Amino acid sequence: MKASEWLKIHPVKALTIAGESSLQEAARMLLDDPEGRDLFVLDAAGRVSGHLGFWHVATLLLGELRPTHSLREMVERITLGNVAEHMDDRVMCVGVDEDIDDILHKHDLFQQHVERRVEDIPVVDGQHRLLGVVRLSDLLRDAINKAVD
Amino acid sequence: MEILLIGLLLLTGLMLGVLGSYLFRVPRVVGYIFAGILFAPDFLGGPLGVDTTEWTRSIVAVMLGIIAYLIGGAATITQLRQLGWTIVTATLGKITGSFVAVLVGFSLFGLAVADVPGWHLALLLAAIATTTAPAAIVAIIHQYRARGPLTTALLGMVVLDDALALVIFSLVLAGIDSTGFTAAIPVIIWEIVAAVGFGIGGGYVIERTARYLPEQELKLVMLLGGIILLTGLAEAIHFSPLLTAMTLGFSTRFFGGAHSEPFFRPLEQLQEVVFVLFFTLAGLHFAPAVVFSHAGLIIFYFLLRAGGQIVGAMIGAKLAGAPRVISHNVGLIMLPQGGVAIGMALMLTSVPRLGDSALLIVNIVTATTLLTETFGAVATRFGLERAGELGQATETAERKKTT
Repeated sequence: MKASEWLKIHPVKALTIAGESSLQEAARMLLDDPEGRDLFVLDAAGRVSGHLGFWHVATLLLGELRPTHSLREMVERITLGNVAEHMDDRVMCVGVDEDIDDILHKHDLFQQHVERRVEDIPVVDGQHRLLGVVRLSDLLRDAINKAVD
Repeated sequence: MEILLIGLLLLTGLMLGVLGSYLFRVPRVVGYIFAGILFAPDFLGGPLGVDTTEWTRSIVAVMLGIIAYLIGGAATITQLRQLGWTIVTATLGKITGSFVAVLVGFSLFGLAVADVPGWHLALLLAAIATTTAPAAIVAIIHQYRARGPLTTALLGMVVLDDALALVIFSLVLAGIDSTGFTAAIPVIIWEIVAAVGFGIGGGYVIERTARYLPEQELKLVMLLGGIILLTGLAEAIHFSPLLTAMTLGFSTRFFGGAHSEPFFRPLEQLQEVVFVLFFTLAGLHFAPAVVFSHAGLIIFYFLLRAGGQIVGAMIGAKLAGAPRVISHNVGLIMLPQGGVAIGMALMLTSVPRLGDSALLIVNIVTATTLLTETFGAVATRFGLERAGELGQATETAERKKTT
């Protein structure tokens, strides 16, 4: 099944934000959508320029509650900055014509998950504009159902 | 036997550190240092067949390289710009104050060791005096949930402080290795240029190569390999290993951008191991006879460092127009001195020119670390309380008292 067809069967609202937004705004957006765990940063043309996950936002904003701090975390705690300063600018994207079964095989999603905790995989067109997201939980559900069948 | 000893040092250090902290409420470093003393050649180290401490030099060089790398990568250029003038000038004031006070004090009334000029020792101690122990300060901030302008300034200052301290120490080390003032200038220029060049080049290569190494484990191999290689290269062709490692950290963070996490997190998790090793190795070098015969100097160093940094930080903060709550407390709350100072002192044992005076410096720094970690923690708490920045933990304790 192509990514474009998957998006029709599993419509998921992609959460997007501008790079200049504050981390508090990013947190509010994520909290307003209980299922949303990933924010995609779009440029003026609607292209995906970065990713910011819930875990990352939470660790930045709740940093002062951590019992120990590395030097990096100490600086982060006092210089929060905006979304663009913390986003991951090398986002793993899926082409609209890619086969959905290839996603996990082709991209090392699990390594990405360990490093960056990505749960929504953005699907983009030829110009890298965001069309929707493939949610890891939907992929898992689909895999379990296939195994039962 | 050395490998057996390292294992014993780590585990005994851990045990004594945790027990001391739990039973007697003393900082863990006190336990670490006692573990080292226990295994010194004059005590249990002798029966174990470890009669010298020369084998520790390579370990110290690599470990200090790791710490310098983490200090270099602590902040990005954008973050440095956001820190603000108060933090910058207060840090510069604090560093200048402690450096000048120890340098002048020891030059005028200091120690003299055969074959080593007194001003060499004064310069080295002054450079070491500029360091601060972030861990001890952060532990207090967390314990008392401190927050406010002083806490914010403090967090920024401890990062800048150790970075500048490493630069000063590297330059002093390069300077005293030269035969005179005119000979020292080209040496220092070479130390800086080579260190910055190799550091930036190394950071670029590490970041580019890491793109082809998806597994975190392989990145760690490359990182440690890079730090050790550059430290070795610095020793071989005589440029500063510490400045190189620090520039390596800074440039890796710069080139890695938002992808820097894998370049730092694994080494940050190693940091406590490094500090346990530093403190226990310092304990190995600990000579009670040296400490007791130089007790006056140890107290002199402690007072000069404390006085210099309190006055210096106050002047620095005032120059930036900082409120009184910052200027009057910031020097006091940065009293703890820790792993970086000990690492620097241990590094001196591999400078042949210094001879036995390196051992004396290790002992002065170890003894004052015990003092500053114990009394410094009290001073940090006092300063934060005076600034009214101690938070919920204190409120909870007070509520318990009243009920």
